[in-house]
Amino acid sequence: MTTTKDVTMPAGATPPASPRIKPPKSNRRLRLGERTAPYLLILPALVAILVLLGWPTLQLIGISLRKLDLRELVSGEMVWVGFENFSEILSDSEFWEITVRTLVFTASVVILTLLLALLMAVLMRHLNPVVRVIVQVALILAWATPVVATTTVFQWIFDQQYGILNKTLAKLGFESFIGHSWFSTGPSTLTVIGILVVWQAVPFVAFTLYAGLLGVPKEQYEAAGIDGANAWQAFWAVSWPAIRPILTMVTFLSVLWDFKLFAQVWAIRQGGPDGASTTLPVYMYLKGLAGNHFGLAATAALLMMLVLILLTARYVQLLVRTKEADLS
Amino acid sequence: MRKSLTQRIGLGTLGVVVALLFVFPTYWMFTSSLKTPGQVLSPDYDLVPLSVTFDNFVSALTKPGFTTYLANSLIVTLGAVLCSLVAGVLAAVPLSRMRFRGRKGFLLLVLVAQLAPFEALLIPMYLLMRDAGLLNQLPSLLLVYFAATLPFTCWMLYGFVNGIPYDLEEAAMIDGCSRAGAFRRVTLPLLAPGLVTTSVFSFITAWNEFLFAFVFMRDQNKQTLPVWLSSFRTAFSVDWGGIMAASVIYAVPALVFFIIVQRKLVSNLTAGAVKG
Repeated sequence: MTTTKDVTMPAGATPPASPRIKPPKSNRRLRLGERTAPYLLILPALVAILVLLGWPTLQLIGISLRKLDLRELVSGEMVWVGFENFSEILSDSEFWEITVRTLVFTASVVILTLLLALLMAVLMRHLNPVVRVIVQVALILAWATPVVATTTVFQWIFDQQYGILNKTLAKLGFESFIGHSWFSTGPSTLTVIGILVVWQAVPFVAFTLYAGLLGVPKEQYEAAGIDGANAWQAFWAVSWPAIRPILTMVTFLSVLWDFKLFAQVWAIRQGGPDGASTTLPVYMYLKGLAGNHFGLAATAALLMMLVLILLTARYVQLLVRTKEADLS
Repeated sequence: MRKSLTQRIGLGTLGVVVALLFVFPTYWMFTSSLKTPGQVLSPDYDLVPLSVTFDNFVSALTKPGFTTYLANSLIVTLGAVLCSLVAGVLAAVPLSRMRFRGRKGFLLLVLVAQLAPFEALLIPMYLLMRDAGLLNQLPSLLLVYFAATLPFTCWMLYGFVNGIPYDLEEAAMIDGCSRAGAFRRVTLPLLAPGLVTTSVFSFITAWNEFLFAFVFMRDQNKQTLPVWLSSFRTAFSVDWGGIMAASVIYAVPALVFFIIVQRKLVSNLTAGAVKG
């Protein structure tokens, strides 16, 4: 793996004839310097991770056990309430409704993304080079456009009066779509957000799966063909085993990314109409920063993390185990 | 498996249709930004712009505060990228080149930090910045983006340094370079593509970030571009051409940087898949 060797050469000194000959015992102090060097070098990153990520994580747990509204925030008073925030949130029917909505939204978006991306990857594999490049350029443009820019474009496309979608539908004979508002109900708003998210998420997954498919030797398909397999059977016998680990990885990443979306949901209708498109991250924001219940919001964040851990635990376990083996 | 002519034509057509569907929103953003207000708000069916005007860009650029928001975005993004690149290189070198106690522990910490949902830390981060008096100050966002991009940067650069044979450094040391000199003269130039890839990824993360910028920067003058763009309705009312022009200006840096590295990004991420 790594090519590290035990070179205990003092910095700046004239090198001995062979680097592998250990320097004489006399330079103990230099060897001490050599021993502390790695710690000094990782220090900035370590401090940053501990202070900017580790400490807030501990704080999050602390705050979730406190009553921290505007009054306590201003006075600086510490009011410990144990698990009161948890019982308040868990008994809030709105929280459960939003959790279920977020889970359903995440699941639909992830499944749709994976299906479309898989189709795109297989399609790219079978296209002739010219068309393939056209498809790839289109995918990269969709992928690379910043989220908030695409959110504004989608609002323009879905605009009630002048949006190109309603104009197109009217032209195709669906007259009822003239002046149709896509953001009047929660499900409709979430559908538009879902299309936006899927459209932007497919390229990464498609490219990743395509890279996986390219790794399969052509001979394996030929062999499957000789054995009389049709295209469908060849896919299951040859392509599927090759891309399954990659599929697991992108599923995991997609769940992680789609579950915590905020910008798109907020920028489109601030979780409206009437809170009907609110997801967990928006709930956390509304409770904590708009409603000044920081303790409750921290609890919501912690519960959100817990749901994510439950959803991805198996994969993280696998990932850490393989990386651990790699690192040794 | 040979394909017949009809199959190939069918596949080609399907490919083009799919490409058009994917490119459409980006295309629509660009073309709408080039239309006059009259063309934008017309009931006519106008998929292809018949004339081109740059008025929308002028109007977006001259909106009050636009240059401030652009500068804010650039400062926090570039600052964060630079910080995490420096800390990342410093950490990646010993992780890859030296053996020391705690090395594996630190790598696992980086891996877990990279997977953790950063958004969950909004409340404690907000309180931390409030106590430090950094709300509405650009350094608060810079620090947050630094923290958000650092684990990924460390992990990527660790991989890149691992990919450069240590023998090259050893050879330079035999020729009289110090350890640091050998790194600077031999490994660092070879690391350049890795540094570019990593910093572009950090750039896009920070350039896109919305939630923390939205919460921390309540002061109008301290907003970043994505936050300003999301609240366009107050700034532009229904001037969709102007909004699209502003979106184009905001999107172009990310598009350019992205296209430079997208190929590498995919191969790196695939390499991270769990086998079996």
